[in-house]
Amino acid sequence: MLEVLFASRERRLRRRFEQAAALAPPGPLRDFYAAGMPAFDRPIAQIEFAAIDLETDGLDFAASAILEAGIVCGGARGIVAASATRVRFRAAAALSASSVVVHGITDDAAARALPEAEALARLLPLLAGKPLVAHFADIEAGFLDAACRRVFGAPFVAPFVCTMQLENRWFPRPRAADGLRLGKLRAGYRLPAYRAHDGLTDALACAELLLAQIAHHGCAGLTLGDLVRR
Amino acid sequence: MEHVTELGEVLGFLRAHPPFSGLAPDALAALGRACRISYYRRGALVIAAGDANRMLSVVRSGAVELRLGGTELNARLGEGECFGYPSLIRAMPAQNEVVALEDTLLYRIEAEAFLKLRAADADFRAFFDTDESARLRRAVARLRSRGALEQDSEETLGAHASIGSLVRRREVVTAAPGTTIAEAARLMAEHDVSTLPIRDGERLVGIITDKDLRRRVLAPGLDTAKPVAQVMTPSPVTIVEDAPVLTALVAMAERHIHHLPVTDASGRLVAVVSSNDILARLGSNSLIIAKEIAAARDDTEVARAAAQLPHAIAGLVGAGVDADHVARYASTIGEGAHRRLLDLGEAALGPPPVDYALVCFGSLARAEQALGSDQDNGFIFGEDYVPERHDGYFEALSRHLCDGLDGAGYRYCPGDIMATNPAYRCTGAQWQARFAHWIASPDPQAVLETTIFFDMRCLAGEARLVEDLRRTVFAQARSNRIFLSFVARAAAATRVPLGFFRNFLLQDDADEGRVFDLKSQAIAPVVDLARVHALANGIEATNTLERLRAAREAGGLDAEAARDLGAAFEFVRDVRFRHQAEQIAQGTAPSNKLDPERLSRFDREHLRDAFKLIRQQLDKLRADFAGGLS
Repeated sequence: MLEVLFASRERRLRRRFEQAAALAPPGPLRDFYAAGMPAFDRPIAQIEFAAIDLETDGLDFAASAILEAGIVCGGARGIVAASATRVRFRAAAALSASSVVVHGITDDAAARALPEAEALARLLPLLAGKPLVAHFADIEAGFLDAACRRVFGAPFVAPFVCTMQLENRWFPRPRAADGLRLGKLRAGYRLPAYRAHDGLTDALACAELLLAQIAHHGCAGLTLGDLVRR
Repeated sequence: MEHVTELGEVLGFLRAHPPFSGLAPDALAALGRACRISYYRRGALVIAAGDANRMLSVVRSGAVELRLGGTELNARLGEGECFGYPSLIRAMPAQNEVVALEDTLLYRIEAEAFLKLRAADADFRAFFDTDESARLRRAVARLRSRGALEQDSEETLGAHASIGSLVRRREVVTAAPGTTIAEAARLMAEHDVSTLPIRDGERLVGIITDKDLRRRVLAPGLDTAKPVAQVMTPSPVTIVEDAPVLTALVAMAERHIHHLPVTDASGRLVAVVSSNDILARLGSNSLIIAKEIAAARDDTEVARAAAQLPHAIAGLVGAGVDADHVARYASTIGEGAHRRLLDLGEAALGPPPVDYALVCFGSLARAEQALGSDQDNGFIFGEDYVPERHDGYFEALSRHLCDGLDGAGYRYCPGDIMATNPAYRCTGAQWQARFAHWIASPDPQAVLETTIFFDMRCLAGEARLVEDLRRTVFAQARSNRIFLSFVARAAAATRVPLGFFRNFLLQDDADEGRVFDLKSQAIAPVVDLARVHALANGIEATNTLERLRAAREAGGLDAEAARDLGAAFEFVRDVRFRHQAEQIAQGTAPSNKLDPERLSRFDREHLRDAFKLIRQQLDKLRADFAGGLS
């Protein structure tokens, strides 16, 4: 029964993945699609994921800009520190004062960053062929999609693992209003408190949370399809 | 533009924990890049014993438990602590099974990066030494050099500086034995010195001081044309120039002298050091106490002088003086208090009616006193002693002594091992009979209660009475394998902790407590070990370090074991003195018990090494001496 559901979810995502691939012009996005999409029945022990966190200057996918992407890769056995990457996006316009306060990214630092097309070209190879992990993954999926449409005229499709959704699915319980926030969930797994609102630190924090969730859920028989957001 | 980036959280954490805190930024960054971050649920196996481990693991959050071969508890490690390195260094399978004791996040550094840094960085290598003994000996050396460094910066106490550094190098004014007293006095006045060494050629034969001129010449109206040799103090105690200042301090305190001729290695006189020179350096009242006790006119004055001891000790400890010297100093003061109180008693009661000796037992006999010691003493009488005629005197004398000691901070012995107890006021023959009974028919409880008597020393009176007893007793003990095995088993029964886990003491059976008793759990086991070897090898010394040395020379203890035990003994006593100095500074009574929470990471880790070395020797003792029973 579950396999059937899996198969249909995987089929739907794969169809979208292939449609997007067909629209992608030669270049970074096409290369990303060329690496393929990992199969849902792949055992958890064999999966290499890329945890990603985007810092943006707003929450509107189309109108707000990505300021920074933090990425760390790893698998069930551990996160690889050497994979840590930070890509800074050059803002089209001056930053709003409020986003400077929140993210600590100044105009000056942003000025040393890459234009959006170059930033994506740097980012996409790191994500190719892997499931992407994010906390409240709708944000990352939405912003990457909007950016790819802007730059390449094609959508961004990938299997996303959302640690917030996973928590609710695997460990449902009544929670406070902010009970699903990254820091709160981490504390529940006895993970250390990290400085928030740094793209790279949040990506690491999210990757560690996924490892903790898998450890507590038990990884016997677990496959990628169990993790991917629904 | 940034490509491969450092994980700030990982580096920040490593930077806050030794030995990573001491690394250069690029070395730290290299380790950070070689890191894998893994999560283990409580109860999960991290490494199985026998596994090929390829990572140095650092506990980022949570805790792990190490069990040797998967069974025997070895350690529990919390945040910031490392494991897995012995297997990397030895390129051998892991000996310990590692299990997550709580939900745990580990930073795991690849073997290659760890080994590379270890090869390049001596401090890093030292931290991960798999040889506890070497690490502990380095810690002891560091404690000493730390003292030396602190005194440089604060100009407090050069207790570890050599005597040579304290004296100004210039030609010493001396006179020949045939010099007239008048000429000697003129020389002293001319060179403005209060002490004049008397030299026969290159050989130092005597010394004369201002005080000697007053007392031995002017007061009796002696003819100043006589040779100075008649009034000098012959064969004075000397000290070599590379001896620590503390040794000079102890020598002066012991003999109540204020000047010490200093010689070089070849015995040539190079200077005279005065107590004022030392006091100026020490800046403490350490010498004054001994002098005040010796000059005290009554119990109250003895008590008042002895009351300064805690602060003097705190001063020495604060200056980085090593534990052995502090203990010897404290013992010297203790001895002085016993002697003075006995003198005062004899002065009040009249001369003793028969020969006797004041014998002390335990830490004072071993010259290993710390603060808060109680008293352990007794009288040994010569053959002429007749209880009906003489005991009244000695009963009164014992009361004078023991009450005075209690008043001076040497509390009454809770076990009543005091001369006031009639059982410990008897002839040498009676003492011998008591020991003979203990040795001939040992039982475990009696052995525990009587071992302290085997550390004995004469403090006053007829030293031969104590020496005869000691010799007889040790000869009997040495030849009685069953007794030795009882003593060894009693020593080996001590439960020395494994180490610490967070603020708890970790024991064999994982039983944890919040109180660490330095004396019973770390110091006493070494004392007991040394005593067993002293008994088994007929060693005369009572001091633990001297016993260990003698046991090594006698072949009863191998060189490594003697060295390891010595380093462990020094370290645990150093921790105790620093702990007591802290208590004094806070105005609380010095004790042997401490809350592990108060221990620095340096102390915790090296105490763990010390515990391990002591436990190894206790295990060996158990194996070596158990044979007497079977």
